[in-house]
Amino acid sequence: MISISPKALAPGSDTSFTKKLDLTNLTPEQVALDINKLNLFYGKKQALNNISMSIPKGQVTAFIGPSGCGKSTLLRSINRMNDLVDDCHITGEINLHGNNIYDKHIDVAELRRKVGMVFQRPNPFPKTIYENVVYGLRIMGENNRRKLDEAAEQSLRSAALWNEVKDRLHESALGLSGGQQQRLVIARAIAIQPEVLLLDEPTSALDPISTLTIEELINDLKKQFTVVIVTHNMQQAARVSDQTAFMYMGDLIEYSDTNTLFTTPLKKKTEDYITGRYG
Amino acid sequence: MNKWFRSGSPWIWLSAGGVSISLISVLGLLWLIASRGLSYFWPSELYQFDLTDQHGAKSVVIGEVYDREQIPVSQLAHLNLALDPEQEILERLLIKTGNRELVSLDFRWLLSHNIKKTQTPKELAVVERRTNGNFYGFIESVVVDGNEVDKNKLPELLTRVDNFQDQIDDLQKSDIGAINYQLERLRLKTRKYQLQDKLTTELQVEIDSEIAALNQDYAILEKELMGYREQISRDHIVMRAMDGQLVTINFEYILKVTFNNQLNTLEKTALFFSHIGSFLIEDPREANTEGGVFPAIFGTVLMVLLMTVIVSPFGVIAAIYLHEYAGKNAFTKLLRIAVINLAGVPSIVYGVFGLGFFVYMVGGSLDQLFYSENLPSPTFGTPGVLWSALTLAILTLPVVIVSTEEGLSRIPSEMRYGSLALGATKAETLWRIILPIASPAIMTGIILAIARAAGEVAPLMLVGVVKMAPNLPLDGNFPFLHLDRKFMHLGFHIYDVGFQSPNVEAARPLVFATALLLVSIIVALNMTAVSIRNKLRERYKMLEH
Repeated sequence: MISISPKALAPGSDTSFTKKLDLTNLTPEQVALDINKLNLFYGKKQALNNISMSIPKGQVTAFIGPSGCGKSTLLRSINRMNDLVDDCHITGEINLHGNNIYDKHIDVAELRRKVGMVFQRPNPFPKTIYENVVYGLRIMGENNRRKLDEAAEQSLRSAALWNEVKDRLHESALGLSGGQQQRLVIARAIAIQPEVLLLDEPTSALDPISTLTIEELINDLKKQFTVVIVTHNMQQAARVSDQTAFMYMGDLIEYSDTNTLFTTPLKKKTEDYITGRYG
Repeated sequence: MNKWFRSGSPWIWLSAGGVSISLISVLGLLWLIASRGLSYFWPSELYQFDLTDQHGAKSVVIGEVYDREQIPVSQLAHLNLALDPEQEILERLLIKTGNRELVSLDFRWLLSHNIKKTQTPKELAVVERRTNGNFYGFIESVVVDGNEVDKNKLPELLTRVDNFQDQIDDLQKSDIGAINYQLERLRLKTRKYQLQDKLTTELQVEIDSEIAALNQDYAILEKELMGYREQISRDHIVMRAMDGQLVTINFEYILKVTFNNQLNTLEKTALFFSHIGSFLIEDPREANTEGGVFPAIFGTVLMVLLMTVIVSPFGVIAAIYLHEYAGKNAFTKLLRIAVINLAGVPSIVYGVFGLGFFVYMVGGSLDQLFYSENLPSPTFGTPGVLWSALTLAILTLPVVIVSTEEGLSRIPSEMRYGSLALGATKAETLWRIILPIASPAIMTGIILAIARAAGEVAPLMLVGVVKMAPNLPLDGNFPFLHLDRKFMHLGFHIYDVGFQSPNVEAARPLVFATALLLVSIIVALNMTAVSIRNKLRERYKMLEH
């Protein structure tokens, strides 16, 4: 592990984190997403077993667990990316504003605008930096040059990338470094002002310095968005998240605020995992 | 030895050898057609041979040496030549003697044994003519308006005739052509009204007056034309042929007079390029054995471009459906295999299909529906450039489908997910992200399609190619692009000139020249497509993970 600044190390050191939330008993205003008895099957194989949890608004929630535990699958269910997998089917519900996103009348494209996602490997489109950022807006039919310019600048600033790219907005995004690309992808995701931002191991393909930048960025992002992050790196979960869910073999084993989970886990499996006994 | 085998060097040698053989055969092919084809344009030396045959008869032969052959003496035993008994091989020369109005054959074999004297007289001239091919001989006199003038005036007189000739061509092709076209349209209009029972007296009068006006214009133009004709047929030259006969050649028929033996290398080079130029831009003459190949170049390129315009969207759409929307089941697999196998169907079968389906069924129905006034003479119900392009489009469709699908499957799924996660629908993702990234692969498909289509001749013979098309498919008369017209094609031109012409021997260099041209055109078309593909590749290059 490289040395990390104390600010980034201290979980929830942000001043906005004032009181511990009671995760089992949130008021409707505090809830961003409510997952209720979610089961997911790939063909006959069950990948998620009866998951129920509430994800609080304006905070960072981390999913941790060993490879294949279903943490990415759960994340992908939240914006229905699993729909793209053949013979994947789902029972149970995920509620956003009290509406089940698996309802028949839900427009998936509309849902994905509200629940943005950033993937493991940076995936900028082979277009200019500018066109990457405004892609989502163009899809929504926004063609006003001034509005696009504004949105691009704002998103790039939010993603802490503006100063590095402001002079080459119209050059190919593929010329950026891996860390810059990942921040560009985050800028692209927040340009359409989603409510929830899903991050699927966003730093696993990056070097330590870029990882640090992204982690600091996540801390800023939660002021505007609800962030859900999947990570296989426990230290990262400890550094960036307010809540942590530990998953194992498709089950949600333990879900509580990050401090509690890492210092006084209730379950034996959680303790084994965070102390490095398996995984 | 064993060690040498295990080191892998034999395989390197073997594969390098394979590459060399391929390279050598390609270069050899290009060299052969280039040297044979280009020598056609080089102004060669004109010879005068004094001959004495085995019976002691003397004669003179004038012409160009086309070929030399070594033949064994035993083959010539029946000639009873007085030969050295030691001699086993004799040389014979193929001489192009031209002068078709005197001797029906352009070519003559001469035994070098009979040649007593070889000269290259400076005054020997070759006259390129509109009919009857070249004339070889000496210019006796130049006659202007019945009076003999100085021979030095010849170039001047030729330029004058050239100018008139240009005006005549202009008049015939554009002005008189347009009038004929309009007359034909008026005839069809009348016929249409008749068929619909709408032909009133007023309409008839109106049309008649239009026809009368056009005929009046025509009469004026015709008079002008006759004037020019008179001008160019005013003068003539008198030539002395190899056997001493005097032949009068009217200026009307003269294209060019050159004294090849007086030219230096520079002048010959200039003439060489001017010959290439006229080969490229002129119309063919004399059953395609003389003149240029412009209509064939135009037809080939137009047909290939039309084919590309038709095949690209269909191929891409089909590939998108197969790859993106069709269920991943046995039926799709079967469909894919069927598409791939379509590429293996012999091309003449596509020709038969095109004739039966496009020409007779689709074209026939179009005629019934829209061109009934022209029946029984067909408009679209006959082979034409559109049907050729469509037939070749079907022929090349599998190529485009297969390479587009390959391109689509090479795109990393992160690209799709990235777009979908931003709220784009599948169609928007396809249109904005997937297709641009796949565009180099699509271009590869198009390149392969062009390469295949430009070289195909067999199916075209059934669906639109002709030996001689009177009009280009593109001209100044509305609607400018006439897709119903028949066209000429370089591939067919080669076949026609090489095997169907009355004078196969004379046309042989033309076959090589046309083949060289066909190869160059295909290479040029492909290079254009390749450079477009490289630009696209640069623009949409993938992430290197």
